[in-house]
Amino acid sequence: MKLVSSLRLHNRFFLSLLLAAVFIWSLSSIEWNSKDLLHSGGGPTLLQIAEGLFQPDLSADVLAKGFESAWITLAYAIAGMSLAIIYAFIVGILASGVITSAKAARITNKVIFRGILGFTRSIHELIWAWLFVAAVGLSPFSAIFALAIPYGGILGRIFADMLADVPKEPIHALKSAGASKLQTLIYGYLPLVWADFISYTMYRFECAIRSSAIMSFVGLGGLGYEIQLALQDLRYDRVWAFVLFLVGLVILVDFWSNVVRKSLTDHQAKSGLRSGWISVGFAILMIFVSWIFIVLNENAHIFELVSDQNIGASKRFFGGMFGFNNENPAFLDPSNWSNAFKLTLETLEMSIMAIGFSTIAAFLTVIPAARNMANGQLTGNKKWYHSLMFWIVRVIYIFSRSVPELVWAMMIIFIFKPGLLPGAIALALHNFGILGKLWAEVIEDMDPRPIRNLAAAGASKLETFFYGILPIVMPRFLTYILYRWEVIMRTTIVVGFVGAGGLGMDFKLAMSYFDYTQITLLLICYMILVIIADFASESTRKAVK
Amino acid sequence: MSSKTMIEAKNITKQFERKIALSSLSFTIKKGELVALIGPSGAGKTTLLNSIAGLVPISSGELLIDAMPLSFYKKGKVFAKKVGVIRQQFDLIGPLAVIHNVLAGRLHEWGTLKSLLSLLIPQEKASAIQALDRVGLRGKANEITSTLSGGEQQRVAMARLMVQKPEIILADEPVASLDPARADDILNMLITLSLEENQTLITSLHSVDFARKYFTRIIALKNGKIFFDLPTDKVTDDILAQLYQLKSGETV
Repeated sequence: MKLVSSLRLHNRFFLSLLLAAVFIWSLSSIEWNSKDLLHSGGGPTLLQIAEGLFQPDLSADVLAKGFESAWITLAYAIAGMSLAIIYAFIVGILASGVITSAKAARITNKVIFRGILGFTRSIHELIWAWLFVAAVGLSPFSAIFALAIPYGGILGRIFADMLADVPKEPIHALKSAGASKLQTLIYGYLPLVWADFISYTMYRFECAIRSSAIMSFVGLGGLGYEIQLALQDLRYDRVWAFVLFLVGLVILVDFWSNVVRKSLTDHQAKSGLRSGWISVGFAILMIFVSWIFIVLNENAHIFELVSDQNIGASKRFFGGMFGFNNENPAFLDPSNWSNAFKLTLETLEMSIMAIGFSTIAAFLTVIPAARNMANGQLTGNKKWYHSLMFWIVRVIYIFSRSVPELVWAMMIIFIFKPGLLPGAIALALHNFGILGKLWAEVIEDMDPRPIRNLAAAGASKLETFFYGILPIVMPRFLTYILYRWEVIMRTTIVVGFVGAGGLGMDFKLAMSYFDYTQITLLLICYMILVIIADFASESTRKAVK
Repeated sequence: MSSKTMIEAKNITKQFERKIALSSLSFTIKKGELVALIGPSGAGKTTLLNSIAGLVPISSGELLIDAMPLSFYKKGKVFAKKVGVIRQQFDLIGPLAVIHNVLAGRLHEWGTLKSLLSLLIPQEKASAIQALDRVGLRGKANEITSTLSGGEQQRVAMARLMVQKPEIILADEPVASLDPARADDILNMLITLSLEENQTLITSLHSVDFARKYFTRIIALKNGKIFFDLPTDKVTDDILAQLYQLKSGETV
């Protein structure tokens, strides 16, 4: 009994220990020898890249190019999101089971539509893009659909969860007032969730900007494309100039999303919904303008997609993936499987390293990054350098999360030799900023009283952290680590494209050799990995609760 | 007062898994009666109201609403004209404006298109405004419901009931979370409205004082059985003490 209860008491501690051990195991997969890790010119290249950061090329033509490509990136993100919302809305409602009354129908609906949502979101947007390009060729719609499908899957799943979690009392009341299923949807479910759904959509919109930028990899113009070109020319000063545009775009969207969220909460306090309607109007206008721009300027014709030629090509492609007319499909060959298994394991190690690095970096920086720590609200002491540190860390966070993993990877591959480490570092560079921001918000939302008591009792800063802050925030921190790990798992395949090892590198090779059945095999491995990651992270989260 | 029977229960029983919530209840309630349902926590008051409202299917026995079994009212729309429910204030849609919550009482008459349109341009607005007037919320039609106080929200629920106009009103602890003055106010209003429309009212209550003050008949439940079913003037302090008595050996 005593052992069990002390195990219970320390289960978070043991869990953390276990996770740390897994991280250390993942590190062992790398041969830590600088000669094998770095390119011969890696050091000087790093210096050049750093130099470019402090002297970005802000000449007039770069600026003009920057604005133009920022608009393209934004327009595609908006167009993709608008389709994603429609998809999420319809499939999300069906998957939530709130409009089906018969029990059997509800369960089959849930299984089928949740399955569709799960499948569409488990595949990264860039993979979708690649599949579309391979099937129907390069068209603006390839990029838009590639964005809309996984984002619709993510939004739809959250939407379905929100609908299923609605408090039951108001719904019962509507039912007893004689409302039909559709009427309870319109008068009950939707009004109860729409504020949350909109704020989550805005949060995802910020991610869509980054995804839109990396569509350059399948040939879409925009900021990612310019960054890629500048990297090929080794013009690091230009690279950073375009990265700054991307950061600016992300900050703008962040600002807009804050305005929208604020108007949603204000709207609950007052009777008017003026600022809310302005945001709605603005969003509709942006969607309209983006679509017009894409259709007119980018020569997008939906009917071209269904030309005979394209149909033939996609038949060949998807038929190839299923191994039609192939005597020796890769997914039936055991030796291919064992090779793919090795790559899968490598990918897993890369993801664990990446989340480990991000966790360490975020852990070291999160304290100054919390607003209530910086202004002394939490601990009751304030020094002049606190707010300076706050701003420095916050700027680093924004920079880190604004740049997509793929772009970080493209830069890092100039310094490191191809392998798991550069992939993990690229993933970590992007994710530690997100993790840090989320954690800082957790600290900011904390009840300050217990901490102030500790400080008043004479605890030093470090003691306050370990006795007061850490025990309170630990479960939420862990939850965010696991969430980010799920996301990283999905993205590992993408950093592999630029030579960062794992399944992604092999996927790209298979793509270039038109080895369709190998693509199928790798996609199967990838999806198994994603499902395992989701499952592992969910059960760990439950264990922490 | 007409003597038409509105609700007739014959040996109704409700079982949850292993626990018996209602055991073989029988009673009849006539049109226009004002019935209070009292009893200790867990006696089965809410289960009984939910069974009459058709939210919880009974395990055995027969339950007739206006001489028809519950299964006759397969369509919620028809049933909504017979039975309306009011609970604590949690049963409103918080983010919607007050007027839409009131007009939700009309949903059983409306099709999907009309209800959708009503969210933009409120339909049959006059009836809702009139109802809000009656409950003393004249100027609040366009406010967001979740910003109102508990007592005000309960009045909104009442206005919805007025718009719905059911023949039977089931009120499940309608004043549980209100202070005594507001509780008095709400019960007063509920009684007045039921009398005017000659509606049948069944209210579950924690407070015996309220039950005696406002209702003509009191049904007491204890452990899923009817402990007594008496006109209010026959209910003695003695029998009430027995109703709320703890089991021997338990201390207060």
